[in-house]
Amino acid sequence: MVLRGFIVCFCLVPVLAGLAGIGFPAFGWFPPLGGETFSFAPLTLLFDQPGLWQSIWLSLFTALISTFLSYWLAMMLLAYLYDQRRSAWVFRLISPLLSVPHITVAVGILFLLQPSGWLFRLISLCFTGWDRPPDVSLAPDLYGYALILGLIAKELPFLLLMGLSALSQIEVKALRDRAKLLGYGPISGWFYVIQPLLSVRMRMPVFIVMIFAVSVVDMAIVLAPSIPPPLAVRILEWFWDPDLGFQFIAAAAALLQLMLAFVCCGIWFAFAAVMMRGLGEMTRKGIRFAIPPIAAKGVRFFLLAFAVIPCLLSLLGLLAIIIWSFANVWRFPSVLPDVWGLRGWGQASSDLFQIGFNSLILGLAAAGLSVVIAMVWLETRHGKRWEGMIYIPLLLPQASFLFGLQMLLIWLRLDGAFLTLLWAHSLFVFPYVMLSLVSAWRRFDNRYLDVAASLGVNACRRFFTIKLPMLMIPILTAFAVGFAVSSALYLPTVFASNGRYATLTTEAVTLAASASRQSLGVASVMQMTLPLLVFIGCDLYTRLWATRFRYYRRR
Amino acid sequence: MDIRKYTKRLTIMMWCVLAAIFPLAMTKADEFSVITRQAAGQTVYFNAWGGSPAINAYIQWVGERVKVEYGITLVHVKLTETAGAVTRILAEKASGKLSGGSVDLIWINGENFATMKTHGLLRSDDWVSGLPSFAYTDPKKLPGIVSDFGTPTDGLESPWGRAQLVFGYDTAYVTTPPNSAEMLAKWIKNNPGQFSYPKPPDFTGTSFLKQILLEVSPEPTVFSLPADQADIDQALMPLWQWLDQVHPHLWQQGKRFPANYTALVQLLGDKEIAIAMAFNPTEFSNGISQGILPETVRSYIHADGTLANVHFVAIPFNANAPEAAQVVADFLLSPEAQIKKADSAIWGDPTVLDLSKLSASDQADFMALPRGLATLSESDLGQTLAEPHPSWVGVIEREWARRYTGQ
Repeated sequence: MVLRGFIVCFCLVPVLAGLAGIGFPAFGWFPPLGGETFSFAPLTLLFDQPGLWQSIWLSLFTALISTFLSYWLAMMLLAYLYDQRRSAWVFRLISPLLSVPHITVAVGILFLLQPSGWLFRLISLCFTGWDRPPDVSLAPDLYGYALILGLIAKELPFLLLMGLSALSQIEVKALRDRAKLLGYGPISGWFYVIQPLLSVRMRMPVFIVMIFAVSVVDMAIVLAPSIPPPLAVRILEWFWDPDLGFQFIAAAAALLQLMLAFVCCGIWFAFAAVMMRGLGEMTRKGIRFAIPPIAAKGVRFFLLAFAVIPCLLSLLGLLAIIIWSFANVWRFPSVLPDVWGLRGWGQASSDLFQIGFNSLILGLAAAGLSVVIAMVWLETRHGKRWEGMIYIPLLLPQASFLFGLQMLLIWLRLDGAFLTLLWAHSLFVFPYVMLSLVSAWRRFDNRYLDVAASLGVNACRRFFTIKLPMLMIPILTAFAVGFAVSSALYLPTVFASNGRYATLTTEAVTLAASASRQSLGVASVMQMTLPLLVFIGCDLYTRLWATRFRYYRRR
Repeated sequence: MDIRKYTKRLTIMMWCVLAAIFPLAMTKADEFSVITRQAAGQTVYFNAWGGSPAINAYIQWVGERVKVEYGITLVHVKLTETAGAVTRILAEKASGKLSGGSVDLIWINGENFATMKTHGLLRSDDWVSGLPSFAYTDPKKLPGIVSDFGTPTDGLESPWGRAQLVFGYDTAYVTTPPNSAEMLAKWIKNNPGQFSYPKPPDFTGTSFLKQILLEVSPEPTVFSLPADQADIDQALMPLWQWLDQVHPHLWQQGKRFPANYTALVQLLGDKEIAIAMAFNPTEFSNGISQGILPETVRSYIHADGTLANVHFVAIPFNANAPEAAQVVADFLLSPEAQIKKADSAIWGDPTVLDLSKLSASDQADFMALPRGLATLSESDLGQTLAEPHPSWVGVIEREWARRYTGQ
């Protein structure tokens, strides 16, 4: 209990302190800047800001649409592909995106869809013969669709993974067979019986995704409209305004961001309730969706296309990134670089490698620490008590507490230290590691341990020689997931590091707004390589290592 | 004569002479060598905008040089927005962190400098005049090095480089560049979708607004005074009228703007637009040699002159390594570093030094720098406009946001 209490404090103290750090200034109280009395002035000023309602709308619109689409696409993909071995390629296509940081996906989409991007070069080559790019804007566009596209490309794989993990806790086959006996086809059976069970288990991942989307900064800087940008980006702009009076407005806006997150979740809840009621109604009436096979095929094709397109575009974007990093000169409308070369890599040189090294060390440390904490958490025998609390950092918009946290860290003289940064990263890495590890851990067959105990093996040895090796694959997967999460974090790095630790993500955001595409390409290539290397490393290690054990060979 | 009185007088005289000589003997150079010794081994966190690979590479070179020369480790903290570092220093002051701050040296000018000066965020012991390299400058010839947008620098910041707003155009699409605000407006209307400017409050974007304002205002003198001494609405009206007529004809119908000048120059290279601008006379030559711009690009300035100013480095009041920061500031101002910086193959930022004060060989090095394909000559760049008072920056940016956000 003490251990768990400690871990909960580890996760929640920074959050609560951060919330206080914006709560007071949002109501005008912040003595260092002359705010000595409480008032509603910051809120009034906030709502006087030009285009505020458009920013709010943009945040809500992109978050809801992207979450809604990725959720339903993920669910339908699961329904259609769950037991179809032939469709494994879809998962294989989508899973690389899981490890690629958000900002890299965004840069890829930019390289592909901007007016001088790869897509228009191809169009020009094949059809129109433009020698100048068209004056259109697909990415970034004026309504937030490019951001939605980028978010789906990142969220769909995550929700698929979470869905697969949730399905492993459901007796899918038995339930489906029973539905079949009652005359329900595979699709209607799935939606009446499996989907309700699944949706309950998916609630947490969906909220994580939704709240990430409503408060995303790095992707939005690259892909969202800019006058005005979504609320989270504006908070950052206000926070960085040379006129220090804007600090109060930024705090008030962070509070507003928190409200938006609640609104989003509320809308989702309401929608889910309506869905459930509708499903219930339909089951009572016994509607069985007798779709003719040909239509089912059509639906399936359409669905696959719809789900695959955002991911395919993102993968193409990643390819464009790689090409840009090796292009010395690449003018419109050339489809491939006019002059290939290593100029980007030469310019990046030691500086970028140092930054890459920072990312690597930080990621390994954060992932390692989080895995250890997660194992400690799971080994304490309190079931799921307090487990909801560790997910709180993911369920609040980052912007709503990180600004306040910065103040606290400076006050405690903890800012800019590596350990602080590690802590800030672990706040976000740990919950993801837990999400990835928890189901495998809870499914572990404790009878192995009982057998060992009956042979007189003590608890410590039981854990290290039996449980740990048998759970090595999920542990390493969780580690790789943790590394990927860490390498994608933007705001936590910016605010906990005081600018002293640059990571590839902060570097890419700095370069994305400007600079040469070569440098951005190089930074992005390194950024997608690192998590991938860690994934591959973990995978190779388990493969090599697992061959020693009959337990794994049998599978 | 009383010998004792005499000796006493002599002693006093000797003390006086000593007292007069000592500060002389302890010249600035000696003082600085003490600082240099203290600086060895320190790490300087240099907070500077990091959006240009050319500048980043230059700063990296500076880091290598000060490491070798003084044993100082220079870390370039690449900022997306300089004001972010300013607010961080303020947060440190607010929470009582009076030493060991996160910023040792910061690249600023204009509004950010004014903000830091008013809030007492800068080291205020006139460390700048003590820099050996400061002797190579001549504030009489270049008043901008002691007066930042009209705000006296008071030794709070050390000059680093000189900049002037310069336009670049692609001769493949533009035959005669429109060299005044009025002609530019006409050109934009005749060539829709081919002009844009960085989104204010970006530095270059705001500078462009100020440039237009100074050109179209019937009374440009009001802008040398603080904004609160003028009828702001009336003073800015000509600017908004100018913008209102061109905005619908801008790149992407004026509904999007590039984030900063490097993004804008990239658009010129992509042939999306035909005229771009930068706050650096050699930017366009640089772009050609980097392969970003086609060789058909040339630069020009407006007939009445363009905005010119000086950019600086400053040390925050709570810097963790103030001595080393001072040494780095001195190195940045040294002929060696300034020659390298002025090279258009490296960065191409004009020097703040007075060439006549340099040694013959340094002068020769400056003269020998290639000017680049698209760079104007010094005499063509001669016409400059003085920066408005820094208080106008916030006013213009805010009003711009109010008028053009979400249209």
